[in-house]
Amino acid sequence: MSGLVLKGISKSFGGTRAVEQVNLIFAEGQLTALLGPSGCGKTTLLRMIAGLEAPSSGALLLGARNITDLPAHRRKFGMVFQNFALFPHLSVRENVAYSLSISGVGRSEAAERANRLLDLVQLSAFGDRRIGALSGGQRQRVAIARALAQEPEVFLLDEPMSALDAKLREEMQVELRLLQQRLGITTVVVTHDQREAMTMADSIVVMSNGRVEQVGSPQDIYHRPENAFVADFIGKANFFDGVTEAGGIRIGATHLSAKPNFVNGSPVRVAIRPERACLDDDPGENRMPAKVTFVRDLGPVREYHLETALGPMVVEYALGEGGKTLVIGDQTEVRLPPEALHVFPDPQAAVAAE
Amino acid sequence: MTAVERIAADTADRPARERLTPRRILPWLLSAVIGVLCVVPFLLVIAISFGRKIEGAAWVWDFTLENYERFFVGALWPDEVTFLYLQQLGFSFWYAVVASLLAVMTALPFTLLLTGLSRRAQAAWLAFILSSLSLSEVFIVMGWDILLSNNSGLPALFKSTGLTQWLKDVGWFQTLRDWGLASPRNVKFKTSQFATILTMSYLVWPYAVILLFPALSRLDRSQSEAARTMGAGGWTVARTVILPAIRLPLFGSTLLLFVFLLGTYVAVTVFAAPAQHTTAVAIYTNIRGANLNAPFGATQAVILLISAGVCLGLGHRLNRWAEAR
Repeated sequence: MSGLVLKGISKSFGGTRAVEQVNLIFAEGQLTALLGPSGCGKTTLLRMIAGLEAPSSGALLLGARNITDLPAHRRKFGMVFQNFALFPHLSVRENVAYSLSISGVGRSEAAERANRLLDLVQLSAFGDRRIGALSGGQRQRVAIARALAQEPEVFLLDEPMSALDAKLREEMQVELRLLQQRLGITTVVVTHDQREAMTMADSIVVMSNGRVEQVGSPQDIYHRPENAFVADFIGKANFFDGVTEAGGIRIGATHLSAKPNFVNGSPVRVAIRPERACLDDDPGENRMPAKVTFVRDLGPVREYHLETALGPMVVEYALGEGGKTLVIGDQTEVRLPPEALHVFPDPQAAVAAE
Repeated sequence: MTAVERIAADTADRPARERLTPRRILPWLLSAVIGVLCVVPFLLVIAISFGRKIEGAAWVWDFTLENYERFFVGALWPDEVTFLYLQQLGFSFWYAVVASLLAVMTALPFTLLLTGLSRRAQAAWLAFILSSLSLSEVFIVMGWDILLSNNSGLPALFKSTGLTQWLKDVGWFQTLRDWGLASPRNVKFKTSQFATILTMSYLVWPYAVILLFPALSRLDRSQSEAARTMGAGGWTVARTVILPAIRLPLFGSTLLLFVFLLGTYVAVTVFAAPAQHTTAVAIYTNIRGANLNAPFGATQAVILLISAGVCLGLGHRLNRWAEAR
C-alpha cells in the first residue's frame, strides 16, 4: 500500500454542497488531521473515506486500487466514532473481538487477540466488564482497540476526544499519538480543536465550507498561513484591513512597512500573531503608541489588550519571556516587525500580483 | 397573638380543611369510579363462572367447579375424556402467536426504513398508519373477505389470469392442496388458517409499527455504521447489532399483540373452519349465541384471562433471565 489518495472528491446533499473538489494525499504511516469549524465538511469527508457515504463525484484510491465504489464492510477501515458507538449488549472483550468473530476467527483465537489489544490500550483488567461500567476515557480506549482488531490499512477517528473532559483529552491525545507511531498505521483524525490537531498530526488539512484551505505540517500551518481564514482559525491573530501602497500597507492614516505581493491599491487583510508583536524599546519599523485597556494573566502567558491607531490589538508574552510589566491605563509603544506580518488578499476583492 | 401561636393555630386546623378540598377528593373519587368500572365486570364474570346452567332454561348463581372440569376434560367426564375446549384454547394461542410474530417481523423492517426518512415523511406515514387504526375489525375483515373470497377475490383473479393453470403446470398446485389452500379446481383461501392468520396479522400491524417506532427512532445508527466498518454486511449488522439493541421492545411488542389477538373474534369466525375456532368464538357462542350457557362462557373467559396473565408473567421472567445473562 502507498497511502490513500482523494481525487476531486465532492459530495452534495440535495442542493447543499458539503464537500467540494477535494484533492488530498494521506501518506502511508502518517497521522493527518482534518481540521475546521463545525459544518465545514470534514466529517462527511471522513465518512466518504470509510465508505459510509458515497461521493457525488471524484475517486478514492488506496495505493493503486480504486475503492470509490467499495462498500464500508469490504473496505474494513477501522473507525472510532464521536460517541464511540460501542455495543452495550457485549462485554469489553466481545466488543474488541467483534470484527474477528464475524469474520469467522475461532472463539479462543479472537479472545486471545482481543486480550492483546486490551493490553495495548492498558485495559487488560477490564475485559469482562460491561460497557456501561466504563468511564469516558476507558470507552475511548475500547473503541480504539475494537477498530484496530481487524488490523486496518487505514485508521479513521471522528472527533474521538470530544466526549472527554479537558485533562483526559490532553492525556489521550499524547497516548493516541504514541500508539499510532508505534503501529505505523495511516491515520486520519477529524477534529475542530486546533490544539488537538497540532499535538497529534504529522500533517493538517484545514477545511472551510467544504473546501480545503491549506495542507501542511502543524508548524507550516501556524507560521505560514496561506489565507486569512487559516490565520484566524489556527491560533490567535490580530487582523487589520488596509490597502497596499509603495513599500507597505496603509491602514487608516498609518503606514506599515511590509512586503505585500500585491499591486498597489489592492485591498488586503493584515494579520500578526499576538506573540510576534513586541512591547519593547528596541528600534525598528512599525512602531506606534498604544494604551493598555486590559491585562489578562493566564498562567503560562500574559495578554495585553491595547488600543492603537490601527485599532484594538492583543499582545502576548510567555512566562519568563521578559518584557515590560504594564497595568490598565499605561501608555506604551507596540512594534509590529515587518517579517511577522501576514498579508492576505481581501476576501471580497483581491488583485493578486502576477 | 404571637407569630408562634399563629403558626400553631394554622397547623392545628389544616388537616380538617385539607379533607374538605375538592382537589383532594377528586383523585379518590376518580380512582373509585375507575376501580368499580374495571373490577366489577371482572368479578361478575368470575362469579358467574361458578354458576350452574339449567337445561332448557337460564342459569342460577352457585359455586360449582363443573364448568372448569368440563373445560379441561369435557362434558362427558368421567365416562369419556374430550379436549375440545383445550383444543380451542390451543387454536387461540396458535393464531395469536403466529399472527403477532408475523406482524412484528414485517413491521420491523418497515419501521426501520421509516426512521431513516425525513421528519415530514415520517409524520405523513405515521398519520396514515394511525388513521388505519380507526377502521373497525368488522370493516377490515369485510375487506379481506372480499379480497380472499372464492368468487370475486384473488382466486378468481388467479383463474382469469391463468396463474392457477401455471401453478398446476409447474406442480405447485398440489402443494397448495396439501396445505389446504386449493380445491381441485382453483386456489382457495377461505376457510383456511392462512387467511385467518394473515387477517389477524393485518389487524395488529399498525400497532406493531407504532409500538416499535419509538425504540427504533432511538437506535444509535453509529453502532450499525461501526459494525459495517468492521466488516459486517447488512444481515450481520441486523443480527448482531440491531436485534440485540431492540430485543426488549421487540419482545414487549410481540407479547402485547399476542395478548390482544387472543380475543380476536370476527376474523376467526369469517376465515377459520368451525373445527378450528378459538376460545373467544366459543365464549360468544355460549354467552350470546345458540348455547345460552353463560356460566361456561364465563369459565372460558376466565381461563383465557388467566392464560394471558401466565403468558405475560412468563414473558416478564424470560426478559429478566435474558437481562441477567
